[in-house]
Amino acid sequence: MEAAFTLNQIEHRLSADFCLTVQRLELQQGKIHLLTGANGAGKSTLLKILACLIQPQQGSMVFFDQPVSAFRSEQQLLRRQITLVEQAPYLFSGTVFSNLAYGLKIRGIKCSAQHRRIATVLEQVGLPSFSDRQVTELSGGEVQRVALARALVLNPVVLLLDEPTANIDHASLPEFEQLLQQLVAGGTTVVMSTHDPAQAERVAGNFISLENGVVGG
Amino acid sequence: MLAAVKLIFSCNGDVLITVWTSLYTAAIAIILAALFGIPAGLWLGINRFRGRRILITLLNTLMALPTVVVGLLLFGLLSRQGPLGHWGLLFTPVAMIIGQMVLATPIVANYVHAAVVGADDRIVPTLRTLGASSMQAAWQLLREVRFGVMAAVIAGFGRVIAEVGVAMMLGGNIRNSTRTMTTAIALETSKGEFAFGLALGLILMAVALLVNLGLNFLQQR
Repeated sequence: MEAAFTLNQIEHRLSADFCLTVQRLELQQGKIHLLTGANGAGKSTLLKILACLIQPQQGSMVFFDQPVSAFRSEQQLLRRQITLVEQAPYLFSGTVFSNLAYGLKIRGIKCSAQHRRIATVLEQVGLPSFSDRQVTELSGGEVQRVALARALVLNPVVLLLDEPTANIDHASLPEFEQLLQQLVAGGTTVVMSTHDPAQAERVAGNFISLENGVVGG
Repeated sequence: MLAAVKLIFSCNGDVLITVWTSLYTAAIAIILAALFGIPAGLWLGINRFRGRRILITLLNTLMALPTVVVGLLLFGLLSRQGPLGHWGLLFTPVAMIIGQMVLATPIVANYVHAAVVGADDRIVPTLRTLGASSMQAAWQLLREVRFGVMAAVIAGFGRVIAEVGVAMMLGGNIRNSTRTMTTAIALETSKGEFAFGLALGLILMAVALLVNLGLNFLQQR
């Protein structure tokens, strides 16, 4: 199976005593990859590097056989295939619909198609009637679901999730994990950070552990 | 006071044309200042580069620029002997608009810069991860800080509608042409026409009140 990402000799120093180091890491396409490690181990930094939000100070990254260039315009094209949902996501002011429509609008998707896709995705994340809700009225868990929906509506090739279940109640976990399985079955590569070791077993994911910024494999 | 109120409601031609001159010159000046100031403030707020601090300090200094100094510098440029004297702009509404634009641009840029710097840190990374280009991200960022941008424009408008120095030096206070509310107040009061000056002063305050009410209305939506 083809590798979605191949990271080689990556080094990125954030402070005097923290440096993210990845000797070699291959993330296979169409699988769930779980990043685990203590707080401050470098999970979020690694996800930001994969999302092309951070340019690593050293090393190289390959995305589906294409080296990731440092050029802004090329990285922007890559970011149209890779979407990151952050741990504490930011929702733009306005309605749930306007948040979900943003990425579609900038991709030139027609209005009727936007409505169809948004309705489907809101159903998938368990918020079918939330389209017209103002984001200021949402709870923490709902914000996280809307952010997930905003990423899913773009049909990303790679979905990066930074502790996506942090604000989701335990009762909704099986539903969320089933959604991940559906995505993977459809060919999406999922890379997510988690503090829940049991989750790795439940979603049959590939385990990647980080310790003090060093990827253990 | 009663005479001033009567003058306002009598639709006096001099009052009307003076108010109109003030409003349209200030409106055009603030539109031009917004065209330059908003992108400048946004650029300064987003980018990190060497010399940025100096630019911010310069912008802060320009905010406090005395109106007579701007008037004086532009008078030098636009007067007959000046480098731009052949344009024949001195003592015209265009000269006043240029001067007021120079006054308002640093204010707009500074307020927008402050709004962008104070915006949520997650906005730009979120926009980038959704695939936005630099221009698309900048536009959405402005939408997110729109109240700060509106405050910038209102503050700039407040500065230009209330200033005397530029209007007096570059406009020349010519009746039915470049006489604004502020220059008319100064002139009429010196002539002893207190009621006329007071009438214009009341209108000026009403304009300020309306603009602020408009801002409050927009913020509540």
